[in-house]
Amino acid sequence: MSETPALDGIGAKLGLLLSVRGRIVTNRIAQAVHDAPVRLAAAVVLIGLIWVGLYGLFRLVFLQLSRTPLEATVAIPLVFNFFFVAMLALLTFSNAIIAYGALFGKSESPYLLTLPIAPLDVVTFKYLECLVLSSWSLVLLGLPMMFAMAATSEEPMFYLFFLAFFLAFIPIPGAIGLLLAWGVARFFPRRATRAVTLLTALALVVVIVTALRSIQLGETATEVWLRAFLTRMSFVQSALLPNNWVAAGIDNAIHGQFPVSFRYLGVTLANAFFLSWLGVRIVSGYFDGAYDRASSSRGGGRRPAAEASGGPAGWVFFYLPLPLRLIAAKDLRTFFRDPAQWSQLTILFGLLVLYLTNMPTLRMEFSASGWFLFIPFLNLCAVSLILATFTCRFVFPLVSLEGQKLWLMGVLPLARGRVLLAKFAFSMTVTVLVAVGAMSLAAFMLNLDMVWTAIHLVVTMAICFGLCGFSVGIGARLPMFGQSNVARIASGLGGTTNLLASVALVAIVLTGVGLATWQSRYLAANTLPDARSLMLCAVAALVAIAAGVLALWVGARHFNRVEV
Amino acid sequence: MTDFVGEPAIVLAGVRKSYGRTLAVRNLSLEIPRGELFAFLGPNGAGKTTTIKMIVGLLRPDEGYVAVCGHAIGSNGVAAKARLAYVPDQPFIYDKLTGREFLYFVAEMFGITTQQRDRKLNTLIRRLDIGEFLDHLTESYSHGMKQKVVLAAALLHEPVVLVIDEPMVGLDPRTVRSVKNLFTEHTRGGGTIFMSTHTLEIAETLADRIGIIHRGELIALGTLDQLKTQAQREHSLEDVFLQLTEASDE
Repeated sequence: MSETPALDGIGAKLGLLLSVRGRIVTNRIAQAVHDAPVRLAAAVVLIGLIWVGLYGLFRLVFLQLSRTPLEATVAIPLVFNFFFVAMLALLTFSNAIIAYGALFGKSESPYLLTLPIAPLDVVTFKYLECLVLSSWSLVLLGLPMMFAMAATSEEPMFYLFFLAFFLAFIPIPGAIGLLLAWGVARFFPRRATRAVTLLTALALVVVIVTALRSIQLGETATEVWLRAFLTRMSFVQSALLPNNWVAAGIDNAIHGQFPVSFRYLGVTLANAFFLSWLGVRIVSGYFDGAYDRASSSRGGGRRPAAEASGGPAGWVFFYLPLPLRLIAAKDLRTFFRDPAQWSQLTILFGLLVLYLTNMPTLRMEFSASGWFLFIPFLNLCAVSLILATFTCRFVFPLVSLEGQKLWLMGVLPLARGRVLLAKFAFSMTVTVLVAVGAMSLAAFMLNLDMVWTAIHLVVTMAICFGLCGFSVGIGARLPMFGQSNVARIASGLGGTTNLLASVALVAIVLTGVGLATWQSRYLAANTLPDARSLMLCAVAALVAIAAGVLALWVGARHFNRVEV
Repeated sequence: MTDFVGEPAIVLAGVRKSYGRTLAVRNLSLEIPRGELFAFLGPNGAGKTTTIKMIVGLLRPDEGYVAVCGHAIGSNGVAAKARLAYVPDQPFIYDKLTGREFLYFVAEMFGITTQQRDRKLNTLIRRLDIGEFLDHLTESYSHGMKQKVVLAAALLHEPVVLVIDEPMVGLDPRTVRSVKNLFTEHTRGGGTIFMSTHTLEIAETLADRIGIIHRGELIALGTLDQLKTQAQREHSLEDVFLQLTEASDE
């Protein structure tokens, strides 16, 4: 027996943890290259396309600004300020969510806690991991912006500063997020996930309401509007906020004022190190207690059991025959007991409702100039894209998630195809209720006439049908049985195929409705569009329905034969 | 580093743990000496896993004290964990590592030299029959294969204390025999095993002492003969177990 095993000091095991993570990443890449080279290549190409697109967009903006040097002097620091303040908020909350799962989740943390590693090493390791996982979006958005800026700047040294500011900035929201996650586990352990979600939602609502309030100025004259807007948003330029140090530093680097830029970089770095040190020290110092509270509170206690086909979940599907109602009600209960699922739906559509309720102030003078259909069409686009996001993320994995319990479905007195029908009915009901509700609200806020309201609602329902049909059908045709992680199912081959198909379907349908809208732009309110416009909308809706039916048919054929 | 060779391998003194209003473990006091295989029995939800999680430092007792080899798990956790190995009922292995890479990671974590590691690993590969799949990613393993690799990881650094939750689930009969032999050798060498199980036959044949926990309370403790006397039964451990837990309900 090892009576006195060698114990290393604090920090000694961090290198080992990092090297194991490196080995895992290497194995994962090697496996992807070996097993799915096409998928890997497609992902690389898609990321490349996104980068090229963003680069082009940012380059256009910066070129436009460089044509008017005076405006550019004012606007560029503001652009950076707003970009980094948005990143500060987003990265803080994404870090909080990722850090909570990483530190207090049920997979790796319990294992690491049984090993002879100091909590400081575990927390530092998880903190570094969270920084990498949560900051990829900043890199994705930031690097094209940097290259675009450099292409229009005369100062080549600017590259180095831009990159240094990025790296120095990332730990600041990371450390705040780490402390938030720990605070939730330590002080709100009973409903930790819900608390994180609600805090995130609350913060997002505050940010959005503040932003929208700054837009609701009642003035349309550009100069007055801009002045008032900048006054309202002046808090983002506070000298105490890190976004301001980064924006000022980058701006100075662009203009070759490197000593000043260095100073701002020093301030950012000092704060990043201090906050990281503080966050890691506090969390590791009280980690055992927080983990104990978080893990002692899992399960959520007793729940009243409704009849399988009864209760609110059963009533929602009153129109379905009993076996299908049972499955759909089970899916609905599962959905609402998983905060990760319902909270994302709430956030997505909550933001949409906030946007829609502010319609009248954004409407400005479109109605007077014959463009009264323009904003409703944009609303339809927004709702359709959110629907596509939702169905790809949450509806698509439904069939795969049944994989581990397929034996249960297999022994039920129910044809497998009807299981798919139940999944379809569940997703269709949820999406139609939410999307039709949102579109009706938008129509009401805009005083949209009855004819176009009806057209938009029919098209919305058809899009729901098509997207749900795709997600269930492709989910059954290209399932990932055996995988219980929803995110991994959604990002696999089937999930990617479904995403591309859904976006293509939305694009096709919206092109039809967009053409009809364009043709009817000078039409008076409450008059029927011409036959061609009506035909375009009808064809768009029929295409969506036919695509959904086809996908369901293909999925059902495969699902009936599948063996798990 | 101070080591407490004369101390019991595991000490639980007046331990209490609750989950909200549910009392999972109440006033549990237990000492497991070195070289003993202790079987911890109890019905589902009796508090076995909670007790194990407190021993390995995953949960903190609300009251009381837990120590491994004289090191308090709360205040000197790293030293205590360096002397123990834990095999949970749902073993964790990194999906994207091979079994061998995982075992190398564990060896390095416990500061074992490469020579020691290779020597011990060769023995474990042979005894647990894991050589065939050890160089494949663990995501392709069955539950039994994972269980074997986790057992190998637990025994690799020759821990003083081995804490195991349901050790034989998913193992084939040949491996069960190997594991039984490994456990016996481990305790003969001075190691301690704290094993929670529902397989009473294993407890009956391997355990030096048996503890029965019911509704969070230790209702019986002793050798098999002592338990038989307490239950006034002369038959199998199964009879004794049922008699004692039913009596406790009354």
